[in-house]
Amino acid sequence: MGGDCILCGKCLEVCPLLAATGREELGPRAKADLCALLAGDDSLLRGEDAARLAGLCLGCGRCRKVCSQGVDVPGLVAALRGAHPDFRGWLWKTWLTHARELWAAGSTAARLIPGRWRPEKLGPLLKMLAGLKGGPGLDPFLTPTTFPDTHRGSKVLFFAGCTATHVQRRWLAAALELLDGLGVEVLPGDFGCCGGGLKAAGFAAEAGDMAARNFEVWRAAGRPGVVTLCASCLSGLAAAGEMLSGDEADAWAGALTPLSTLVRSVSFRLSDDAPERVGYHRPCHADAGDSDFLLLREALGERLVAATDKECCGFGGVMRLARPGLGDQVNGRCWERLGVAATVLTGCSACAAQLTATAPDGVRVGHWLEAVG
Amino acid sequence: MTGYAASLTPAHEAFLNDLFPGDGCVLTREGMNAFATDASQERAMPWAVVRPESREQVAELLRWAHGERMPIYGRARGTGRVGNAVPSLGGVVVSMLRMAGEPVVDADDFVAVVRPGVVTADLQAACAAKGLFYPPDPASVRISTIGGNVATCAGGLRAVKYGVTRDWVLGLETVLPGGRVLRSGGRSHKDVVGLDLTRLMVGSNGRLGLITEIIVKLIPLPETSASVLVGFADLRAALDGARAVFRAGVLPAACEFMDRVTLEAVRLGGEAIPLAASAQAALLFKLDGTQEGVDAEVRHLVKALGPLDPVSVEVGRGEDEGAVWTVRRGISPAAFRIAPDKLAEDISVPRGRVAEAVERAHEIGRGRGLIVLCFGHLGDGNIHVNVMYDGSAAGEAAAAAGAKDEIFRLAVALGGTISGEHGTGLTKASFVAEQLGRDAMGLMDDVRRVFDPRGIMNPGKGW
Ligand SMILES: Cc1cc2nc3c(=O)[nH]c(=O)nc-3n(C[C@H](O)[C@H](O)[C@H](O)COP(=O)(O)OP(=O)(O)OC[C@H]3O[C@@H](n4cnc5c(N)ncnc54)[C@H](O)[C@@H]3O)c2cc1C
Ligand code: SF4
Ligand code: SF4
Repeated sequence: MGGDCILCGKCLEVCPLLAATGREELGPRAKADLCALLAGDDSLLRGEDAARLAGLCLGCGRCRKVCSQGVDVPGLVAALRGAHPDFRGWLWKTWLTHARELWAAGSTAARLIPGRWRPEKLGPLLKMLAGLKGGPGLDPFLTPTTFPDTHRGSKVLFFAGCTATHVQRRWLAAALELLDGLGVEVLPGDFGCCGGGLKAAGFAAEAGDMAARNFEVWRAAGRPGVVTLCASCLSGLAAAGEMLSGDEADAWAGALTPLSTLVRSVSFRLSDDAPERVGYHRPCHADAGDSDFLLLREALGERLVAATDKECCGFGGVMRLARPGLGDQVNGRCWERLGVAATVLTGCSACAAQLTATAPDGVRVGHWLEAVG
Repeated sequence: MTGYAASLTPAHEAFLNDLFPGDGCVLTREGMNAFATDASQERAMPWAVVRPESREQVAELLRWAHGERMPIYGRARGTGRVGNAVPSLGGVVVSMLRMAGEPVVDADDFVAVVRPGVVTADLQAACAAKGLFYPPDPASVRISTIGGNVATCAGGLRAVKYGVTRDWVLGLETVLPGGRVLRSGGRSHKDVVGLDLTRLMVGSNGRLGLITEIIVKLIPLPETSASVLVGFADLRAALDGARAVFRAGVLPAACEFMDRVTLEAVRLGGEAIPLAASAQAALLFKLDGTQEGVDAEVRHLVKALGPLDPVSVEVGRGEDEGAVWTVRRGISPAAFRIAPDKLAEDISVPRGRVAEAVERAHEIGRGRGLIVLCFGHLGDGNIHVNVMYDGSAAGEAAAAAGAKDEIFRLAVALGGTISGEHGTGLTKASFVAEQLGRDAMGLMDDVRRVFDPRGIMNPGKGW
C-alpha cells in the first residue's frame, strides 16, 4: 500500500489516537511497521493479535496526508481487517448496508445477526449503533437573504448519503432548498452509499460494488457535478475514484463538490435568538480548503468562538465497536477544544452523530444545514 | 558490565503489572513491537514496556531495576536517528509519553516548567501564547518531545544565534538508578554553586537517569522574521558570503548552505524554487527581531554580499517567507533522486573549516564512485553529509560504509566531531573512542558509575 515506511515518525504529529492515549503502539508508525512485519511473515508475531492491535485505528486518514513515503496506514488497516474478519466487522457491515431497517422506529436489529455471533456484548453494541442516528437537531438561525446568480441554470446530481437519506431528512430538505434558491437544477439519480465506511472496515469488494453503482448513476446523468453534504461521503467518493482511469478519473475528481462551496456566495441573516457562542468541528475528512468552515466563518462572524483542528470526534467507524473506550478518550480532547461553545456545527454525518451522543449538558450539536432555514 | 537480568521472570512481570496497572504495562509482542525500533530503523525487542505517569512510579521502577540489574531504556517519541532508544540488550523500555500535561509558563520569571513527554512544538506554542519564546528548533520539533530533546541535547536551525537545547535548560528533576531523585538547578537564570549537574544530564541520552521535570529559560518572542535565499556561482563564494555577513555585524537566526549536488537533486523534482538556475551553491538566512531591526539587517546583509556577486537574491517576508524555504525542505526527499539509499551523517567542524570539509567529503565520495551531498547549518559548522548509494548494486553498500568512516576521520582531523546533533547511539558507537580518546572515555565511565553503579541505564550505546 504505497511506499515503504522508513520509521521517520512524521505521522506522529497528527494521529489523534496517539495524542489522546499516549500509547505509541496505537500510532501510525507502529501500525505501518506491524503491517510490514506481517507482510514479511514475521513468525514471532501472532497474526491475529497483531491484526487486532493494528486494527485500533480511527481511519481518519491524517497520517496518510503527511507521509512523504506514500504509506497509507488506514488502507493497510482495512486490508488487515479484511483478512481477519470478526463479528464486529460483520455487524458494522450489516449496519451500513441495512441502515434503513436498523434505524426504523422499533427495529429489532438483532434478527439480522446470525446465532453464532450473538455473544453477550452484542446488546450494548447494537444500542450504540442505534444511537448513531444523531440528535433532535437545532432550531434554525441562519436565513438566506440573497442568492447570487453564479450557479443559476447549472445541473448537478445530489449525493445525500445514508444519514440524510434514512434519518436526517431535514438535512436533505435544507440542502435541496438552498440549491433551489441558487437556481441549480438537481438531476434525478439514485445514488447508494459512498462505501467509505465499508472500505475502511475491510469490505473492499462490497465497497467496490457500491462505487460501481454510483459511477453508473453519474454516467447515466451525463457526468455532471456531484454535490455532497457530508465530508466523509465526499472523501469516500473521492477515494473510490481510484477505480476509474484516465480522463474519467479526472472528470470524477472534478465533479465532486461540497455543497458549502456553492452556498458560500449566499448572504445570510442571523435570527434574533441565534446562539452567541458557536463552535465548529472540523471533520478529519474535511476537503483541503475546509469549505464548511469558510462558509460558517463568513456567516457567523464573531459568534464562531471555537474550532477544532487536530482533534478527531473519536467516531472511528468499526473501531467504535471494537474499543469504544479509546474513541471516548479521543472524543474528550475534542470537547476540551470546543470549550465554551453552546452550539456546535459540523459538516460530517458521523461527526454529528458522535458529537451529539457525547455532548456535555446544555450543548447542542448539528450539521450546519440544521442551522439554515 | 555483565550480570544483567537474563530475562523477565514471572515475579518481574507481577511487579511491573502491579506498579503500572491497566494499559500502563505492555508485555505482548505485538504491543511491544513499536518500542523495538526508532527512526534509525535499528531493532531489538524489549522484554516489557511501562508507562509511568508520576515521578513516584519512576523512582520505584528504578529502585527495583537497580536491585534486579534490569536494563532500562528511556523512550519518548522514538525519533532519534542513531538507535539511542532501541533496547539492544533486552530489558524494560520506559515510555515517557504519559508524563505530559500543560507546561507552566511563568512570564515574570521567564521560565517554563514542563514534563518530559510534552511535544516541543506544544511547549513553544504555550510560550508563544504569552509572548515568550523557547528557541531550540530541531527539524523534528513537531514530532519529538522536550524530554527527548534534553536527553539528546537536540540542536536546530536557529543554533547559530540561540544555541542548542543545553543553553536553555535551567533545572532538572532526574530519577537515578536506586530510586534517588536529583534536583539540579532551578528557576534562577544564574547559578554558579557546585558542579553543573544540569548540564551533565543534558545530552546524557538516558544513560545517567530518567528526567521527570524540566525548567527551561525563555526570552521575549521576536516580533517578526524575514528570510533571504542567495545563489552563488560556486561553493567558495557562498562560504565567503557567509563570512562577509557575520563580519558586517549581522547575526542571523539561521544560516544554511546547500552545495551544487544538493541543488541539482532539488531541481530534479521540478518544483519552482526562487533561485537562479546558474547557482552552484546557495545560502539561506533567517533574521528575526523587531520589524525595524529585521529590515535593517536585511539591508546590511544584502549589502555585505554584494562584493561576492551573488547570482540571485530573494527576500521573503510575511506570507512569502515560507516560499524561500521550499528548497531547504525539499532536500530530504530530493536526495533519493540521486540514488535509492543514503547514509546520512551530521558531522560538525570549526566554522572556518567548513569549505575544506565539504570539498574533501566530495573527494571521498568520488574516490569510491559515490555521490555525496552536503548541506546544513553553516552558521555552527554542522554539516549534513549524505553518502548516496544503491544497496542493490554490488559493492556499493560497502563503499558507502567505507566513505562514512573516512568522513568521520576527516571531521575529527579537522578538529570537529562525528556528530553535531544526532548523537552516537548504536550506529556510531564504535567510533566514539576514536574521537574522545582513552582518558576522556575512562573518566566518563567513572562519572557514569557514580550515578549508575550497575550500568543499567540505556546500556550498549556510545556516548
Ligand atoms: C525528521 C527528523 C528530523 C530531525 N531533526 C533533528 C534536528 O534538527 N536536530 C536534532 O538534534 N535532532 C533531530 N532529529 C533527531 C531526534 O528528533 C532528536 O534526537 C530528538 O531529540 C529525539 O526526541 P524523542 O522525543 O523522539 O526521543 P527518543 O528518540 O525517544 O529518545 C532519544 C534519547 O533520549 C532518551 N530519553 C528520552 N526521554 C528521556 C527522559 N525523559 N529521560 C532520560 N532519557 C530520555 C532515550 O533513552 C534516547 O536515548 C530528527 C529526527 C527526525 C526523524
Ligand atoms: S508511515 Fe510515513 S510518516 Fe509515518 S513513520 Fe512511516 S514513513 Fe514516516
Ligand atoms: S488513520 Fe488516523 S487514527 Fe489511524 S493511524 Fe492514521 S492518524 Fe492515527
